[in-house]
Amino acid sequence: MKRILIVDDAATMRMYYRSILEGAGYQVDEAINGIEAMEKSLQEFFDLYIVDVNMPKQDGYSFLSELRSRDISQNPAMMISTEASANDRMRALVSGANLYLVKPIKPDQLLTNCRLLLGEVHE
Amino acid sequence: MAFIKKQPEKVIEQCERKRERNCASFELQLSDPNPTARRWAARDLADCLDSSAALVAQLLREQNSSVREIILTTLTKLGDEVAVAGLVNCLRSEDAALRNEAIEAMKMLPDEVAPIMSQLLQDTDSDVRIFAVNVLESLQHEQVEEWLNEVIEHDAHVNVCATAVDLLGEVGTSYSWEALENLKARFPDEPYISFASDLALKRIRGS
Repeated sequence: MKRILIVDDAATMRMYYRSILEGAGYQVDEAINGIEAMEKSLQEFFDLYIVDVNMPKQDGYSFLSELRSRDISQNPAMMISTEASANDRMRALVSGANLYLVKPIKPDQLLTNCRLLLGEVHE
Repeated sequence: MAFIKKQPEKVIEQCERKRERNCASFELQLSDPNPTARRWAARDLADCLDSSAALVAQLLREQNSSVREIILTTLTKLGDEVAVAGLVNCLRSEDAALRNEAIEAMKMLPDEVAPIMSQLLQDTDSDVRIFAVNVLESLQHEQVEEWLNEVIEHDAHVNVCATAVDLLGEVGTSYSWEALENLKARFPDEPYISFASDLALKRIRGS
């Protein structure tokens, strides 16, 4: 079973993603900020990361940059944010995201992109 | 290959700090190349009532996170209009870390932030409105629920409402019941709004 780490400070958002992903058969874990996500990533393996941008203590950009630069994981990461500018998108990709989505996210949109990043379907 | 010895950050001795100890020199030291000197200056400026402008200016260009932390602590201690305006300005920054640090600092200033909260929640930039809702998250103020209700009843942007409804799931009472029901009706095609509103309503019903 593929394992997905949701990194988001909003509890309701984490529950929303979890309900969709578990309903589709994925195993889900959660972190409330980049620091907790890094601790989990050092101890456990995740096939995919779903990362929010704005979080206290460590934001999504910093977390992904560190995850990549320390070579802790090169597995795919999807960054999800409310910010829709080209600059935000570019910054996410430079930080190490493979995909940048703008909220609000619908269930089918989340699942399609997860499957795509996990190599379960092809574009 | 020759080794390049990393230069340690110069230690600023207590006696050296005592050489010039007045507000003007502290403000000058805010732009010292040595981060230790900048940290001390930012700390010392807590006793200088008119130093918020200099601190805000340095905050916007400061790259060292530990210096930024002290600047933010001093700004929350000063808590004057210039300090609050400077923190609000950081909400418009491209730097996500700075934005988040400003949000955390603003949470520490409930009485100072409260008079401008309605204005922030009506900012033309939806991202700023979202960050203003983030400030409400742990702002110890009696109007928090009222402000959140204003947002979910009137804001046209789904992500601003989504951020507000997240928070209402934690702090909402029966006072928010009608506004939450109305929100679902306003965004019938947004599954997240339905999910979060139902969760908040369930929690309110159970409390």
